[in-house]
Amino acid sequence: MAASWDTSRYLSLFVGEATEHLDALGKELVRLEGGVTAEAIDSLFRHAHSVKGMAGSMGFEATTALGHRLEDLLDRVRTAPHRFDRTTADLVLQAVDALSGHVKAASNSEPFPDATELARQLELVALSMQPGTTPIPFREPVAPPPLVESAPSPESALPPRYDVKLRVATSSAQPGVRGFLAYKRLSSLGNLFRCTPSLDEVKAGKLPGGVFAVELETTETEAAIGKTVSQVADVELVSVTRVVAPPPVPVAEDPASPSEPEPARVVGQEPPRTVRVRTELLDGFLDLAGELLLATASARDVGRVLPDEPRGRFTEAIDRLHSLVRGLHDLVMEARMTPVASITDRLPRAARDIARRRGREIELIVSGSDVELDRAIVDELNDPVLHLLRNAIDHGVEPPEERRMRGKPPRGTVKLSVRRVTDRVVLELEDDGRGMDTERLKAVAVERGLITIEAARVMTEREALMLSTAPGLSTAASITDISGRGVGMDAVRRAVEGVGGTLEISSRRGAGTTFKLSLPLTMAMVNLLLVGLADEVYGLPIAKVAGVVEATRGSLSHSRAEPVLPFGTGVVPARELSAVLEIPGRPQAVDALSPFVVVETDEGRIALAVDALLGQEEVVLKVLTRPLDQVAGLAGVTVLGSGRPVFILDVARLEVPRRVLVGGEA
Amino acid sequence: MSKRVLVVDDSVFMRDIIKDIFAAGGFSVVGEAGNGVEAVEKYKELKPDLVTMDLVMPYRNGIDATREILRGDGKALVVMCSALGQETMVMEAIEAGAVDFIVKPPRAEDVLAVVKKVLGEG
Repeated sequence: MAASWDTSRYLSLFVGEATEHLDALGKELVRLEGGVTAEAIDSLFRHAHSVKGMAGSMGFEATTALGHRLEDLLDRVRTAPHRFDRTTADLVLQAVDALSGHVKAASNSEPFPDATELARQLELVALSMQPGTTPIPFREPVAPPPLVESAPSPESALPPRYDVKLRVATSSAQPGVRGFLAYKRLSSLGNLFRCTPSLDEVKAGKLPGGVFAVELETTETEAAIGKTVSQVADVELVSVTRVVAPPPVPVAEDPASPSEPEPARVVGQEPPRTVRVRTELLDGFLDLAGELLLATASARDVGRVLPDEPRGRFTEAIDRLHSLVRGLHDLVMEARMTPVASITDRLPRAARDIARRRGREIELIVSGSDVELDRAIVDELNDPVLHLLRNAIDHGVEPPEERRMRGKPPRGTVKLSVRRVTDRVVLELEDDGRGMDTERLKAVAVERGLITIEAARVMTEREALMLSTAPGLSTAASITDISGRGVGMDAVRRAVEGVGGTLEISSRRGAGTTFKLSLPLTMAMVNLLLVGLADEVYGLPIAKVAGVVEATRGSLSHSRAEPVLPFGTGVVPARELSAVLEIPGRPQAVDALSPFVVVETDEGRIALAVDALLGQEEVVLKVLTRPLDQVAGLAGVTVLGSGRPVFILDVARLEVPRRVLVGGEA
Repeated sequence: MSKRVLVVDDSVFMRDIIKDIFAAGGFSVVGEAGNGVEAVEKYKELKPDLVTMDLVMPYRNGIDATREILRGDGKALVVMCSALGQETMVMEAIEAGAVDFIVKPPRAEDVLAVVKKVLGEG
């Protein structure tokens, strides 16, 4: 089927939609291993059919042919679901992978990988399913793989949800604001979801009959909900009903005709109208909204020098502008929010493959896939989460025989839960495997010269577990099996911290390990401590600042000829920030009081001597572009209201040479 | 004891109307302010049970003043006074922490109904 029209402009649409279908196909297929139903097969068939149809329209003949074979096979299975066995499932998965390979190739304008052999196998199996034939043996039989499935989230882990229906009095002068006020009040009780009509429509007063509904997740009682609403004039409570948790992944198939694209993931009762937007475009919006915020701040600064009379009006106008821009910024951020499902949806399939390869039996339980995060964060976390899963199965969960010997069920459980905790998202991956050996970790760390024996002795359990993320340790292949954790943990930690998150590990020997990722909802805003150094201003992310101490250089004590500053119950090494950044500093008298900012680097805490503390500011972080991104120690840049650019230091990875000490020599 | 109210509005005329409404409703107006800066100062000084806050005022608008008052006292009850057509600003004030709003020109029964609800007496 040759295309007679210019297809290039449809390519990105094709890639996007075909990928969605193929992802869904893979996902549903894995779930199918729990039990085959005609509806489920129908859905697989529709996905395959859609991909084939789209590929045909694009003129991708090889893809169309392969899609056709797959569709054929699934069509046969439709009439004989009992013939759908594990080998067939494997073959279908291979076909899905091959088709994904084609889509990727199309997207990169590369030649398509050859799939004729696979197409032939699909055809053979399809033929064998004709009525009256017996299934042909197809390749050597494989040991039954562990079953992997995504289970509904444990309801008990989440506070109950209520469907709260409200009516705004029709006599109200500003029904939209009334509705919004009630919404705001309810939000003080817990988390709100699914406002119907949408919050924007509520705000605009578009309330049919004055009624709107929200879903409220709260630990409060129904009476408390009633009381809160009763405090809002002109708003009455129509009803409060407890919502029964829906399964996290809709299993029911959409009745849409096969040629229609899948409807977008719906959150509300009625599917919201959606439009596809390239992520680069969203990035562009965010950049511009950020610039607008900065520009507004700088206009405000200009206003400060105005005489009294015009200043009042000017400030008011700026306030208004600022809140509008802030609103715009928030909306752009919201548009960037994307459910973590785009990470978790791939995991059941991955778990199945890894477990099968390693001879493990695994049950993967995923909950909270609908929690949303900034797209940029979701993108960054894809690999780390997969890596944690791989490690959990590879090195955490024991082989079935070993588990039996230890009195554990032969099938290991890996739980991945995602939940929103105030303004952060917590992602936990927990296994019931062998746990990590902190003694071993410490011993190897000492052996490799990463820590001293002394340090190892006083180390807390938590610190010892974090050793597994030290570059020198986690990249060492030999640690893999002794520690119960594999390679690349340093990369996981880097990625998590790179988006402003934190990683915590807890583990019990013989009982399992939990990795806890605490993530910000968005990564574009960052809270800075501004410090002055010579004539420059630098920003230190507050998240990495442990405290500030004022001291004179003369009062520092020394440990092994290294100046140290008392902090908390111990001491931390003290350094001149100017020397760390290798810039000329202002000479300071030994008896002059200077602020020392204690920061958390990857190597531990250090105190940085600065000339002045200039305050705290929430800023829009701009990523550095070449060649500045090559400079070590810089995380980004921002522009203050005054128009002054400020570099934000990459505190976690500050390189702190030992020789750069505070004191007379600086 | 009657509840103590601070009335903030840049128009003396409007302040008088609101004051009269409160007096008739059994509230005691303990202070008034004509701009946002004054409002913040008066609030700190008087610690009233409730503030009615005009949106648009010189020096410091009602939204900023509300924000500032709440920064000092997270439990402050601020009710916005707005005209029709200022919906967006009112919503911003609510975002900033205002607990309710009344629409100008104020009608006694509406103002008292809102205020009583806010104070948990309605």
